[in-house]
Amino acid sequence: MQSKSVTKYILLLPALLVLAATTIYPFFSALILSFRYWRMNKSPVPGKFVGFDNYLRAFSDPNFWNSMVVTLRFTLISVLLTILLALVMAIFLRQNNRANYFFRTLLILPFAMAPVLKGYTWKFMLNDFYGIYDFIIDHLLPFAADINWLGDPFWAQFWLAMTEVWGWAPYIALVFIGALSVIPQETLDAAEIDGCNNWQKIRHVMIPQIMPVILIMTLLKTIYSLKMFDAVVSLTGGGPGRATETLNYFVYKTGFRFFDMGYASALAWILVFIFFIFAMLYERTLMREGR
Amino acid sequence: MSQVNAMSTAYRPAPGMVSWIMKNASTLFGKSIGYCLLTFIIFLPIFWVGTTAFKNSVDAYSLNVFFKPTLDNFIDIFSEPGSFFPLLKNSIIVASSTVLVTIPLALLCAYGFSRFHILGEKTLLIWVLSTQFIPPVVIVIPFYTFFRSIRMLDSLTGLVIINLSFSLPFAIWLLKGFVDGLPRATEEAAVIDGCNLFQLLRHVVLPLSMPGIITAAVFTFIQSWNEFLFALILTNTKATTMTIGLIGAATGQEGVQWEILSAAGFVVMVPMFVLAYSIREYFVQGLTMGSEK
Repeated sequence: MQSKSVTKYILLLPALLVLAATTIYPFFSALILSFRYWRMNKSPVPGKFVGFDNYLRAFSDPNFWNSMVVTLRFTLISVLLTILLALVMAIFLRQNNRANYFFRTLLILPFAMAPVLKGYTWKFMLNDFYGIYDFIIDHLLPFAADINWLGDPFWAQFWLAMTEVWGWAPYIALVFIGALSVIPQETLDAAEIDGCNNWQKIRHVMIPQIMPVILIMTLLKTIYSLKMFDAVVSLTGGGPGRATETLNYFVYKTGFRFFDMGYASALAWILVFIFFIFAMLYERTLMREGR
Repeated sequence: MSQVNAMSTAYRPAPGMVSWIMKNASTLFGKSIGYCLLTFIIFLPIFWVGTTAFKNSVDAYSLNVFFKPTLDNFIDIFSEPGSFFPLLKNSIIVASSTVLVTIPLALLCAYGFSRFHILGEKTLLIWVLSTQFIPPVVIVIPFYTFFRSIRMLDSLTGLVIINLSFSLPFAIWLLKGFVDGLPRATEEAAVIDGCNLFQLLRHVVLPLSMPGIITAAVFTFIQSWNEFLFALILTNTKATTMTIGLIGAATGQEGVQWEILSAAGFVVMVPMFVLAYSIREYFVQGLTMGSEK
């Protein structure tokens, strides 16, 4: 089958051309735009080239730095909690019995829910007057009764991260269960004979064994957290103030509310740069550990 | 299945049930609490939206779990003015068109990568994988200005085109992994029998790849259906989808009407639960493309 040298490229061509048009073209088009001045509400075509002005403007813009801090903080919290909760769920559901099969099936549901709907759902449940979460928390922790969850900068960030954790932890737990299931039973038995209790078994056998998978999922989740946008719109709208304004949301506002396309493109490219670092790490880890 | 049986015997309270329960009481207790907590955490948001969709406007603002269910909210969202029907139609058209364009292109590409020696294969594959790391907001800016200049804003076609940016790399990787696992013997036999490449793909590869194709199709459908950012920026009135409709439901004149929003949310989420359930066996392969074998 090696002889059909032209045919095999024809198989690849349509998909790769479409992919180039939908990813490489906008990628570089945005790069060029980021060096131009363009207020889209004033002029239908891009204006003059301004060099690095848009980038310099970003670095002296307090709102940009705010969105950087928000993004990094959100990413850190949501990734840590997601991985931790996923590990707990995976270890809890690792054994193959009928109950666990049933619960594992439930784990696929949060992932299939539209992220924008997750945001609205949480907003509803956190409402001060008729929200179920607010009701439960107020009864379990009476001192928290006065907190207006989404009106407080700290808690708004926390709950934004929690919607993300809820959506992702169950899915990542399934990945971890898959990884745990290939640990040989003999390894676990040996640990038991050596006098390990359950906790030590988890701590010294299971977690080190699935470390490569944990690492890969942490990086993958970081990339998806940096992308997160939908729930910001539906849960907090970036507020209160700018407390939950992630870089994604800041780009969106700059470009599509204020129509400052040149500046938005420059901000978007700073985001690309951050992604690039994590993407490199991800692919390095994948090449080393995954195969 | 044998694994299931082996495991369930480990839990069977054989002779002396009482003493067995006594001995394992703390474990059983811990397990039950764990299951309850898990169900509660995962299910509560789904349950709450699911039930609120059937509440009337008074019950929606109470914490009642027992109430008289009503279909009024669904009648409301599908009747004029502001019917969700066109939005639902748009969502279905966009998601199915994205699937119909993605799958054939991705299958051909995956087959090519899997079966032939390609010049620069590794570089190309890494490129395909890397495209998922481009933030969507970077992709949408040039597409917005481009669609604006050719008057294609607010069109379903435009939405399908931009959806390909995430559906194609994903489907290529998923299908490549699948085709890699197919035995080559059948294909070689078909070639000896005189099949050309087209016949080979049509009569051998396609039927064998069906489980992979279905998985990729369901994933693509769910992702396009749930897609929000592109639709928010590129559509306005004619081509808006269900996810954008949620904003409309959430910003009514008298503040948010949660029972209406929940009914719309119900229509958005339940079909996707059914689809996700249908591919539960393959679910994990889904978004970890490239990271597992």
